[in-house]
Amino acid sequence: MTVPTRCDERDATQHGDRAARRTRSTSPRALAAWLAVALVACVVAGVRVGTSDSLGFGDLARGGLAMVGLGEPLESRGLQTICELRYWRVLVSIGVGAALALSGGLLQGVFRNHLASPSVLGVTSGASLGASVAILLVAGGGSFLLIDRVGGAAPALITAFAFAGAMGVTVLITAIATTGGRVSVPTLLLVGIALNAMIGGALAAMQAWALDDSDLTRAMITWTFGRLDDRSAWHAGVVWSGLTLSAAVIPFTAFELDLFAAGEEDARGLGVDTRRVKLVALAGASLAAAVAVSVCGQIAFVGLVVPHVLRLLSGPSHRSLLPLCLLGGPVLVLGADVAQRLALGANYLPPGVVMSMLGGPFFLYLLLRNKRAVEAW
Amino acid sequence: MDVRAEGLRFDYPGPLRAVDGVDFTAREGELVCVIGPNGAGKSTLLMLLAGMLDPDAGAVRLGDATLADLSPRDRARRVGVVPQALDRLPEVHVREFVLGGRYAHLPAFGRARTRDREAVDAALAACDAADLGERLLTRLSGGQRQRVLIARALAQEAPVLLVDEPTNSLDPEHQLTIFELLAQQTCEGRAVVVVTHDLNLASQFATRLVLVQAGRIAADGPPAEVLRPEVLRGVYGDRLTYGSLPATADGVARPFVLPWRAQ
Repeated sequence: MTVPTRCDERDATQHGDRAARRTRSTSPRALAAWLAVALVACVVAGVRVGTSDSLGFGDLARGGLAMVGLGEPLESRGLQTICELRYWRVLVSIGVGAALALSGGLLQGVFRNHLASPSVLGVTSGASLGASVAILLVAGGGSFLLIDRVGGAAPALITAFAFAGAMGVTVLITAIATTGGRVSVPTLLLVGIALNAMIGGALAAMQAWALDDSDLTRAMITWTFGRLDDRSAWHAGVVWSGLTLSAAVIPFTAFELDLFAAGEEDARGLGVDTRRVKLVALAGASLAAAVAVSVCGQIAFVGLVVPHVLRLLSGPSHRSLLPLCLLGGPVLVLGADVAQRLALGANYLPPGVVMSMLGGPFFLYLLLRNKRAVEAW
Repeated sequence: MDVRAEGLRFDYPGPLRAVDGVDFTAREGELVCVIGPNGAGKSTLLMLLAGMLDPDAGAVRLGDATLADLSPRDRARRVGVVPQALDRLPEVHVREFVLGGRYAHLPAFGRARTRDREAVDAALAACDAADLGERLLTRLSGGQRQRVLIARALAQEAPVLLVDEPTNSLDPEHQLTIFELLAQQTCEGRAVVVVTHDLNLASQFATRLVLVQAGRIAADGPPAEVLRPEVLRGVYGDRLTYGSLPATADGVARPFVLPWRAQ
């Protein structure tokens, strides 16, 4: 069978070649290597920089070995504590960044929209609401539930409630925005706006009730701003175990989400069990967002910015995008935290505030960049 | 493998029944064209045959198996679907897109093997699209895109091929190319079912025509039996002109129907 060469096909060839070159500017492996180098640099800077004096590499090494029982602690008990706090902060930051970016990558894949992210859709708000309810339920006005002094069974309860809140919001937005198996993007974003507003109101109401209890109020407000200081082994354990479980969905959903790109119906025709894939991906996204929020509060826009930038750099395939999120998220969260600590010193801002200041304009940029597509919604 | 619809019925919300008790069979080596007016239920019937919709009553049989009992992967190994259009064109290279057709054959975690890459190459070659492999799907012309969609379905290596309006918005040359390609598949033992509005292409290439009206089969037979004024008048009205010409494939005269207001 021969098909005559046509002018439109020749034009398409030239355009296609240019576009192909553009999309192949960075291979996923090269990008992963760059991100790994950046992450190592962020980790080194992260453990050295803090509100107190900079720690030397020798102290950091000895303090770190002592943490895992392979050496004597530093002579100064205070210095050992500072060293440990920095290690936990860095470990938690990496876990939180990876979890939020992974959550965004999964949500964007399921909803086939680059504007979907746990914060825009209200998933992190749902987690925050769940965490605040847990605080109210078990705190009884007690200060032991302060985010930096959690102990006993309370942290597990907070994580469980945060997960329930995140999952509840995910199920709700999916149910409302889906008609006949198709997700309406405007409905999705409007539901996200409505849920964020409703949950914001509920959180404000809870904070108003708790105004007389300054510890309780502080605990809840901390969730609103996000916090990476004063983390402990517990926080690191929660976020890393949740992240591990969430990342375990990648091999079971990545190729399938690539096939979702042309439509759910089309993916079904190719043999994809679309219900199972959506359920697994949404559970993974909710768990990732929930553990991140439950250990450090709300940090918005990481799940929006990271997958989008990585997609621009290395292409749309979820088989590379989702693993890259596990490196890109930590680079953004830890990098931004270290950078602002270096720039602002003791007056550094909470990470949630920094990310909102970076992510808000980025969201507007995305809307403007996709203006034609947005107007067609 | 034969594909058989048995008493298929399907309702969308509302008073109209989209598919109302349809029985028909497409056998190995047959190209069956499903024709009928807009809203007759042709595409719904195709989606039921593909298992993308669950029938309210009746069943679809693929050889000895019942479609509803098959897992999504098993179904995709038996039935390849070429959709009328995609919801959105993914920004992927053609070879990667066609590899999606191998999903049901891939081992866990979707890692393609040599066998899968060979199937993709063979499917692209069969559709005269081997040179498109490294191009972006979004940058193809309409005819190229349609060939790539068919290539993806061929990569599934399914014995049944279901195609929904493959020649929409294509020029006449590309329309012929696409139908030649589909007819070729029957030589390899596939059962091919094509939903189309083009009565003349259907007449040239189909083994049988199935005329659907208001969710029911109004006629089922060779083109010469179906494309007659007394059969089509009740479906398409009386403003058609009928004739016959020898078809290029076998030289046998086939009917043609034109939307031509004769005096």
